[in-house]
Amino acid sequence: MKILIVEDNTQLLEAIRETLVGEHYVCETAEKYTAASEKIHMHNYDVMVVDINLPGGSGLKLIREIKGINPATGIIIISARNSLDHKIEGLELGADDYLTKPFDMAELVVRVKALLRRRSFSGTSTVTFGDISIDTGRREVTAGGTKVDLTKSEYNILLFFFSNPNRVLTRESIAEHIWGDNMDLADSFDFIYSHIRNLRKKLTATGVDDPIKVVYGIGYRLKRDYN
Amino acid sequence: MKLIKRTYFLTALWLLPVMFIGSVFCFYMIEYIAYEETDEFLTYEMERLLDYHKTNGNLPDYHKVSNIIPGLRYDKPVFKDTLLLETGDNEMVPYRMLYFTIHHKGRDFTIVLSHLLLGKDDVAQGTALIIFGLMFLVSAFLVLIVNHVTRKIWAPFYQSLNQLTQFKIGNPLPQFPKTTIEEFETLNATLAALLKKITNDYQHNKEFNENASHELQTHLAVIRSNTEKLLNKIPESTGKASELQTIYSASTRLSQVQRSLLLLSKISNGEYSKDVNVDMRQILFQSLSTFSETIELRGITVKKDFQPCEIYMDAGLAEILINNLVKNAVKHNVQDGFISIKLTASSLETENSGLPIQGDPGRMFRRFAKGNNGNSGIGLAIVDQICELYGFVLSYEVSGTSNHKITIRWR
Repeated sequence: MKILIVEDNTQLLEAIRETLVGEHYVCETAEKYTAASEKIHMHNYDVMVVDINLPGGSGLKLIREIKGINPATGIIIISARNSLDHKIEGLELGADDYLTKPFDMAELVVRVKALLRRRSFSGTSTVTFGDISIDTGRREVTAGGTKVDLTKSEYNILLFFFSNPNRVLTRESIAEHIWGDNMDLADSFDFIYSHIRNLRKKLTATGVDDPIKVVYGIGYRLKRDYN
Repeated sequence: MKLIKRTYFLTALWLLPVMFIGSVFCFYMIEYIAYEETDEFLTYEMERLLDYHKTNGNLPDYHKVSNIIPGLRYDKPVFKDTLLLETGDNEMVPYRMLYFTIHHKGRDFTIVLSHLLLGKDDVAQGTALIIFGLMFLVSAFLVLIVNHVTRKIWAPFYQSLNQLTQFKIGNPLPQFPKTTIEEFETLNATLAALLKKITNDYQHNKEFNENASHELQTHLAVIRSNTEKLLNKIPESTGKASELQTIYSASTRLSQVQRSLLLLSKISNGEYSKDVNVDMRQILFQSLSTFSETIELRGITVKKDFQPCEIYMDAGLAEILINNLVKNAVKHNVQDGFISIKLTASSLETENSGLPIQGDPGRMFRRFAKGNNGNSGIGLAIVDQICELYGFVLSYEVSGTSNHKITIRWR
């Protein structure tokens, strides 16, 4: 899987690159519009992560270009401008997703993975961790061979964990993942706690071990030595 | 009230005393002339009689003497007013009498001449007719003239006014009409300068907001991603992660605050202006479904009473408004509490159980008001700002001990 990251802030670009390389993707980077434009004309990419505000041109123009050359490329917009117009324009041009800065790397990873699943397997894919597997096409969870009935948020949290098996998920990033802008973070920790407690209860009720570990004061992670 | 109507009204008011004074003046004038003429006529008659008497020693055959009183003497002729009964219509009518004395055959005879006067009521009637007729004529012409002149003189004013009411910030500046009237020229020039300033300020504000947002959020993204990276690198057992967590939380909070402030300033800057008819019921249903799991987790009962309600406003702002209200009702609720939402064509009431609040409830709508559990955030300030933008009336009350009710009256 080859990903092109276009972002003019070097430090952020490096952070994104490191994260995605850590997920075993092949990554190339560009800081300017011209460099990015050159790259998309010369190579094929599975995913392009692109900032709208670029020196030398707009990210929206890049999207238009890549859609002309290789329409199958998945596109995730990352923008500091939380403006609805850009979002709508980007999505209309064929972008698949829109992330508002600042975002958690865990969030970027789950979006890239979801995008790749949608692209490569025409909407069906199974994500497995230990005895637990998620059929993302049907949105079904099976633990130890038994189907588990999860609410929408519980499902989203579990998939978020499974997409980031090696990462600590902070309470903030889980809250943002579920509610986006709709919830003030500080007030949502109680709800996150309840959701995760219920999720764990439902999973362990099937007889499998609890896959989630509490990282004290920070958040949660999947257990490293699980099965 | 329109300028021209006001002008007519005030002019008419001023005309009333003029009419009154004019009538009184006219009345006395007519009466004075009537007396003058009658007295003159009676004096002539008296002189004719005196002359005749002097030459002929007798009174003429034809004379207007109404009475001759023997034995009474006046040294000088005397005028008197009197009322006499007119037998024809059985009415007392005013007469002017002239008493004068002649010496006839060694005896004094006072001769009384009389002449009918104009009745006061007749004079008054005449006066009124003249005044009203005149006033009517004057008014009619005044209206015609003023209408014509006003329309001509005020035309550039109304044109400017029309352009001003249609002007929306962000649109190109209107070109005001050229006029030779100095006051209007000054007005137009001042307006043009003001509009230019406002538009520039608006643009600067908008650009500043966008730039501030872009720069801040990008660097916050750097802080956040690197902190996140470190959080994953530090072994959990060392307990050193708590400092990092502080940095991480602060940067997250900061970006959220900045986003909210940006939203507030965009609302007050009027950058959301794609007004359409918004079905509030639909937005409420959407919003409740967003928070449905949270509502369930808390065991909150939701009472819904939605009547059809369409509001002409920006769809994005409608969503933000409703979401903030619902969020507020969920967030500040208690375990197994309730939320009651009543939507009608004229208002929206959200009531929820919660904890009692201390102090002035109006405080809640201020930015970053401190609540029971620290910062109560900015959500209600956003609600307040949106209501202000559209002229909705927002009110807050605590009923019972701890039921909070927020009412929005659409206008």
